[in-house]
Amino acid sequence: MADRTAHVSWSGSLMDGAGTITSVGSGAFGPLDVTWSSRAEESEGRTSPEELIAAAHAACFSMALSHGLAQDGTPPERLDVDATVTFVPGTGITKIELSVDATVPGIDEDAFTAAAEGAKQNCPVSTALASVPEITLRASLS
Amino acid sequence: MPRIVREAEIDWEGTTARGNGVVRAVSTGSFALPSTIAARVEIHQGTTSPEELLAAAHATCWVTSLGSELARLGVPPQRMHVHCTVTMDEVEGAGHRIVASHVAARAVVPDADQETFAEGAAAADAGCPFSALIRASATVTYEATLEKEV
Repeated sequence: MADRTAHVSWSGSLMDGAGTITSVGSGAFGPLDVTWSSRAEESEGRTSPEELIAAAHAACFSMALSHGLAQDGTPPERLDVDATVTFVPGTGITKIELSVDATVPGIDEDAFTAAAEGAKQNCPVSTALASVPEITLRASLS
Repeated sequence: MPRIVREAEIDWEGTTARGNGVVRAVSTGSFALPSTIAARVEIHQGTTSPEELLAAAHATCWVTSLGSELARLGVPPQRMHVHCTVTMDEVEGAGHRIVASHVAARAVVPDADQETFAEGAAAADAGCPFSALIRASATVTYEATLEKEV
């Protein structure tokens, strides 16, 4: 079992106030500033829950794909994964787009596509976010 | 309502077991962090993981939700602290799954009584988009404490 933690402090109202992701359990990042306007409008260099979810999903998918490819006997040399999360205020997170460019010696297109679809279906973040209305995948082999 | 899009990317070298990746905030450039599987499922050793990023996302989502609900109830908060713990576990037959997220909030809200504050916290949990998403597959719990000073 693995627990991972994060801590946020916020001062003032939603519109006029501001927050900070003060620390995370691993100490790997923080403090990171957050505001409502940078979440809902232009980011102006500040992160947001949706960007953190994009990072979590991209990292989770890349680990799952790399694991699946190794189990199939074709370990990857390199995976470049992008995740794009769409947030509609008042509605919620409506879409996540995953895309991967991979270098995998000795694999054919069909086997790679199947492994990528498997990672998209089964990685722990995908299953946790399975209620997102639309999760798409573009997988390309170089 | 406008659609808001945020992007991140990871470049991963090698296999899951022995390889490693760097996860970057593309939209904002606000972080670029190494990540490994050992740090994810064993001791973190100062390296982040998807679950830690989700904990940061949930804490941030929840705190903005609480602030807006308290303001809607006419008791705007002065200061709020939210701590979030995301748990991943091995589920028989399903492999690793994110099974729980626990939110612990403390807030200084000058004009709020206990009842109004509790109402705001319940509304925050119900309205936080991230809580709503992961509640479909994981257990989401929260505790909220009204404080004189934080």
